[in-house]
Amino acid sequence: MSHTSRNPRASVAAYLLAALVLVYLSYRLPTLLPGDFVTAMYASSHVTLTAEQDAQLKAWYQGPSGFGAYIAGLARLDWGYSFAFLTPVSRLILEALPWTLLLMGSAHLIAMAGGFVAGVEAAWRRGGRLEKAAVGGMTVLEGLPEIATGVALLLILALHAGWFPAAGAQTAYAAMGLGAMVADALHHLALPLATLVLAYLPGNFLLTRASMVMVLGEPFMQTARAKGLSALRQRYAHAARNALLPLVTRFVLRLAFMVTGALVVETIFAYPGLGTLLFNAIAKRDLPLIQGIVLFSSLMVLAVNLVLDMVYGIIDPRAAHAR
Amino acid sequence: MHDDLVARLKTDPWFIGGLGLVLALGVVLLIGPWLWPHDPHDMSFVPLAPPSAAHWLGVNDGGMDILAELFHGMRNTVVFGLVAGGLALVLAAVIGLAAAWFGGLIDAVCMRLADIMLAIPAVMVLIVMAAFFRPDPLTLALILGALLWPSTAKGIRAQALVVKNRRHITASRQMGASGARIIVKHLIPELFPFYLIGFGVKARMAMFMEASLAFLGLFDPSRKSLGLMINFALKYYYLDIWWNWLLPPLMVLGLLIMAVTFLAISMEKHFDPRLREAL
Repeated sequence: MSHTSRNPRASVAAYLLAALVLVYLSYRLPTLLPGDFVTAMYASSHVTLTAEQDAQLKAWYQGPSGFGAYIAGLARLDWGYSFAFLTPVSRLILEALPWTLLLMGSAHLIAMAGGFVAGVEAAWRRGGRLEKAAVGGMTVLEGLPEIATGVALLLILALHAGWFPAAGAQTAYAAMGLGAMVADALHHLALPLATLVLAYLPGNFLLTRASMVMVLGEPFMQTARAKGLSALRQRYAHAARNALLPLVTRFVLRLAFMVTGALVVETIFAYPGLGTLLFNAIAKRDLPLIQGIVLFSSLMVLAVNLVLDMVYGIIDPRAAHAR
Repeated sequence: MHDDLVARLKTDPWFIGGLGLVLALGVVLLIGPWLWPHDPHDMSFVPLAPPSAAHWLGVNDGGMDILAELFHGMRNTVVFGLVAGGLALVLAAVIGLAAAWFGGLIDAVCMRLADIMLAIPAVMVLIVMAAFFRPDPLTLALILGALLWPSTAKGIRAQALVVKNRRHITASRQMGASGARIIVKHLIPELFPFYLIGFGVKARMAMFMEASLAFLGLFDPSRKSLGLMINFALKYYYLDIWWNWLLPPLMVLGLLIMAVTFLAISMEKHFDPRLREAL
């Protein structure tokens, strides 16, 4: 959340408050809906409920249990029951989660590391022809939405050229060794990962370059030069460390959109993560599942924000001293 | 000072390119639907017919003219972006200026609220709203606008604090100007570029979200949208009609987002004092 907040306990309290608000909204949501919404919703959905399931769903939504019981249920992994998949919501979420973490985690790491190094090098070579071309190319890329790049990659590399699989995360029913399995998973990962890296890299690059250019003008950089440090040492140990901070802040702000990014890209490539699960839940109007995924991913964003708030002091000792 | 910046903006190729794109898309958007004779909801044409003189981009699987769909989808995306971006900007300006001007408790409450809202992913709220309540797109745009203000409000607050402590403000205060006069005559106009940047960034985000939500099928299926066109066209990738059905909405969406991105990046570069050195 804010990296200017000086008191760690106050920020923990703020996150807890935000989490409670989210859980409470999720708890209250069904009662805010008009009329008999279970019948209304499932009448227009692909899922047909038996009388028993109908009663069960109504009990889940309209039961008299209080907010405390709701929270206790969430803690016991009782997140409701999906009638489209005939499986508990929590199990569906936990099965999809590793794929999303793999995809989004590697995309963010690659985009951050790549954008950082490229941005530092570009700022070092400011004014050169290569640098100008890089800034131009990255600005154009920044303007391309994931839907466009993802669909283009899918059409060209998967469907027409056939170099990559068009859907899924693994080859189904294939018996293979560990090495082949990893290679297979990476093969499936390549296109969605490339789409996300193309979407996230330009912003990281432009930001690193801009903050790096400012740092390079600081007096301490002149000192570093005067001390006769190697160019590499000047660039990374002295300058880049300061340029890292805005990038981390941006990373945190981007996390809020992590599930959105996953949503569209996973859907395009039918990657079996939380995004595709949510897409299927929406298509089938499977309310407990939609509610569960939304609540889960919102809480996850809060948790990651909190961790990064704590870590910030380690990356920037100045922030820790300011407390 | 601003005249100098405007002159510099006029020579920035990204600004010129973005402005040109916005104007071109605007003209297409305003004139296209008027000149094009087909109604996007008319399903009476031969399904999957290739492009012809009567249907420049052909006909889709439901027998609807693709170009007419494209015009209407584009309009829906742009309107959604303008409404959400506009509301976000108004809220951000009011809250940011109030926090900077009054300080103290109001400042603390506004910024804490902004912090909490920054941690709540807007798109998740939109998905729940769209899936459970099925509101009309305008309501969704307003909800999105009400969720997007915090980061812009923080930026405007920071800039307003800088302006507030400048000498000409102190001078006008000593000459007896009221708080209201200083806000209206100095603070609001002098922060003008930051409104434009904030609006651009938020409108871009909102258009992108509209396309994503439509692609995921969260809007009424009879509402024309670029995202839904992409979704439907993708199912027919194996036919040779992707270039007249799938490509146009992809390109229009890409150009729309690109135009706003160029303008926002270029203005940010020139007006943000922290970035100005990096030119």
